[in-house]
Amino acid sequence: MRACATRTTFYKYLVLVVLLSCALPTLAQDTRGHVLGTNAYPFDTVDPREEIPLPIELPESVLPMLKSLSAQDIELLKSGRAKQYTGGADDIEKTISAFTPDELQAWVNAIRTVLEASVYKEGRDLANIPLNTDSKSFNAWRMLRPRSLDPEREAGPIALGRYAGFGGPQTFGNFPLALSKEDLIAGEVDVAILGAPLNMGSGWRDSGARATAELRLHGREMGFLDQYVQVAGSKVLKIVDYGDAAVDNLSTERSMEHVRSLVREIAETGAVPMIVGGDHSLAYPNIAALADVYGKEKVSVIHFDSHYDAWWGGPHLISHGLPVYRLLLEGHVRAADYIQMGLRSAGPDKAAFKWMREQGMRYHTMAEIERRGWEAVIDRVVAEASEEGRKLHISFDIDVIDPAFTVATGTPVPGGLDMRESIAIVRRLCSEANVVGFDLVELHPALDPTYRTTQNSVYIIKACITGLAMRKEGLTEKHYLSPVSSEHAVDNYYGDQQKYLDATAAEEVKEEEKKKMKKNDEEEQ
Amino acid sequence: MNARTIWNRLWVTITFIFMLIPLAVSHATQWSLSEALADKISGLVPQQQAFIVSGEVLNFLPKRQLIHEIETRDIAGIQALVNDLMIVAARMTYDPTRDMGAMPLNLTNTSFHRDIVTPAPLRKMQREDGPFSTNRYMFPTSGISTFAGAKIAIYPEDLVAGNVDVAIIGIPSDMSSGRRNAEYGPRYMRAMNTIATRDIQSLLDPMDVLSVVDYGDFYVDNMSSERSVDHITAMVAETASTNAIPMMVGGDTSILYPAVKGIARFKGEKTFGLVHFTAHPDAQRQAAHTISDTQSVFKLINEGIVDGNDVVQIGLRGQAVDVETLKWLGAQGVHYHTMAEVNKRGYARVLKRVKKEVKKGSEKIFVSIDVSVIEPTEMVSAGRIVSNGLKLQQVTEAIRYLCAAKDIVGFEITDMSPMLDYSRLSAVNANAVLNACLVGVAVRKAGLKADYVHPLALNHGN
Repeated sequence: MRACATRTTFYKYLVLVVLLSCALPTLAQDTRGHVLGTNAYPFDTVDPREEIPLPIELPESVLPMLKSLSAQDIELLKSGRAKQYTGGADDIEKTISAFTPDELQAWVNAIRTVLEASVYKEGRDLANIPLNTDSKSFNAWRMLRPRSLDPEREAGPIALGRYAGFGGPQTFGNFPLALSKEDLIAGEVDVAILGAPLNMGSGWRDSGARATAELRLHGREMGFLDQYVQVAGSKVLKIVDYGDAAVDNLSTERSMEHVRSLVREIAETGAVPMIVGGDHSLAYPNIAALADVYGKEKVSVIHFDSHYDAWWGGPHLISHGLPVYRLLLEGHVRAADYIQMGLRSAGPDKAAFKWMREQGMRYHTMAEIERRGWEAVIDRVVAEASEEGRKLHISFDIDVIDPAFTVATGTPVPGGLDMRESIAIVRRLCSEANVVGFDLVELHPALDPTYRTTQNSVYIIKACITGLAMRKEGLTEKHYLSPVSSEHAVDNYYGDQQKYLDATAAEEVKEEEKKKMKKNDEEEQ
Repeated sequence: MNARTIWNRLWVTITFIFMLIPLAVSHATQWSLSEALADKISGLVPQQQAFIVSGEVLNFLPKRQLIHEIETRDIAGIQALVNDLMIVAARMTYDPTRDMGAMPLNLTNTSFHRDIVTPAPLRKMQREDGPFSTNRYMFPTSGISTFAGAKIAIYPEDLVAGNVDVAIIGIPSDMSSGRRNAEYGPRYMRAMNTIATRDIQSLLDPMDVLSVVDYGDFYVDNMSSERSVDHITAMVAETASTNAIPMMVGGDTSILYPAVKGIARFKGEKTFGLVHFTAHPDAQRQAAHTISDTQSVFKLINEGIVDGNDVVQIGLRGQAVDVETLKWLGAQGVHYHTMAEVNKRGYARVLKRVKKEVKKGSEKIFVSIDVSVIEPTEMVSAGRIVSNGLKLQQVTEAIRYLCAAKDIVGFEITDMSPMLDYSRLSAVNANAVLNACLVGVAVRKAGLKADYVHPLALNHGN
């Protein structure tokens, strides 16, 4: 029995060796080390903000007390890294003078143990998170459904409802469904909304995985008329629900490339990808995909968040706390093209702010709003975001909004924007700036029994859809509001009644012209 | 050997042989095409035909659907379908030139490890070893919440010095394959503490009999179960080595594997049984990840940490309970009890059978409960929720008995996600489950029989 088992093992080994020797040349040529998990990362991973502490100069008076220690031990005590345990020079003297030589040795040994234990050590530690590459269902999670499994249909958006779009399974905004790039192209789609239920961001982790389902349930109004500007997204734009991207909720890293490929697919058709998360790690694949299509450093980003998400500590290379740093590191966006709005969480600290300032990142904290007032800051932000007509991606973490409105998020921070402010700034950005991508992330519906957070998230998405529709209609002037809905103009209370009456008349003339042109077009055809 | 035993053995052997027959022939008879359909696919290229005839195609389409497709499609349509499915089949497995084979880590980071227990010389406060209270008052009614309102112990020296019987530990992993937030299980169970209340059957207060501590939380990396396993295993083994019983509060069920492995590291592999209350068999045998909640039991049996014959599962139901899995469990010797058995035989009979099975198994047992076993009306915050479960009372009755009847080497409750229950009832009920085991251990320590009931609790006597 045993001999038989050994023989089987031997044959397995032989097969493995043969296979590997065939595969090795391919590996070397085509595969990046970090994809195999054999190389930590293709870029320098050291965080420049991590200051290497200066060595300690031990006072003369301490040296006699260190007689029992080896030269190496003394070196360790002087090193900057030990400082977090030894304190400064004065502390060392105080601590050491209370020790017997044995206690001193034990103390130094403990410091060495901790310092050695905190860093990666080859042979002792997992160099990567292994996967079971023998699994027969290794890629099952992201396997696309072949078209031939379903009855043949024309390419293009599919209406699921029985009654002019209604009466079927819920889609985002009741928009028709598209499943492939061909559908987007055939439908000349302007906006494709893609769910990505990634649920690995920490904090209140559940239930990002259900966010896309609930947003569909409550998302009926995404394309409705916006009373403020008298534009209905669904009338002006061709919008589709692009379904959900497959994610692996046991590994953020593994989900990234697949989401990126789907966002890229949308952007390649010229449609605006709107990604609905899912946690904020998604900013990385979303923006990287836009860089794939429009070129590196060609897209600016405005990032709404109470957190700065450019953290780069710890052993992991992607999480909802560090997409920004990774985007900058890989060169998808220039730091100078990265605008942040609404920051107020415990970090960044002074060092991180200084680093952001040095990089040229334009940050707008709630402290700035407290100092300058909302109107001043919003004008500045919109002006920055629309600079030189640059392409813009909006990454909207709903925790930028005050938890009174969006309590169902993984890491809420009080003192945020209210809904009135949030809707206005998103609508303005999507109409006044050249928006080519949008994401809304960190919604965890199960944490809010009132559905309020989901409803508010829908209205943020609606604000952007409205803005994109306004842009298509040519309504890109600064802070446009409809002259009809923003003023009754029955009297002259504010002293500018005539302005509104004139503007209303002018819009009517324009609309008439448009109708005529449309009629002409149709007749010509 | 009497006639009855011989007859029993013979009967078992005969049954076994008959059971093997379908296993042996199942592959061959699993799938064959009618003549008409076989004729229809004869136009396909040989590889495509083989893909259908071998049954491989059935991994991707249910049989009824496949037959319908072959019947209704023309040859070109069948070709397109089979071709697409063969492409899917080819892409299912790992390809090093296309797929990420492992997730990279930031190896240069100076805080690569956060699971470092502070060595003694670096501890801020110097104190004598032993559990200590966090209370200002002699008779506290509020203050710092701890499991069982118990004293705190931080290091194994504390457990030894305090001669601790039970160490209640939080392991806040949050990698459930269902709904998440189990990370908050330990803190909510502490905050809603109802552990160590007097037992109505024996009228014992477990704290009078047992030395219990809150042993804090063990570190987990919630971006990777793989990186958490070794630390949890080592910490559980260390705790067990002080002779305290670790009672562990999850966290999702991916920690079942390191918890049992940790006990086995100290007590020895296959030296104790595992009684697992759960809706999910957690016996997934094929997955791209090397660890997750759905693989816990498979890994424990497959790696020889527990003996399949010494495993009892109670309350199974839901999507993962398929024929293949039940066959696998059966082949390992696992004594499984599905909700179908409970519904058909009645819980009392099933529990009696479980008691018998446990009695026959090892003297030592590890009791684990995934709260999914409990009916959702009483446990709405189960991460992998499945309707139609056991009543809380049925579960606590069984656990109290087992913890009193056997030598408990470890206890674990997993996958309670407090944020999914605004009433906090799930946390209270999870405490009731842990309390049931604590009471059981106390009853045993007090030298009472497992099913002892104090006469005054049964009858007022008037």
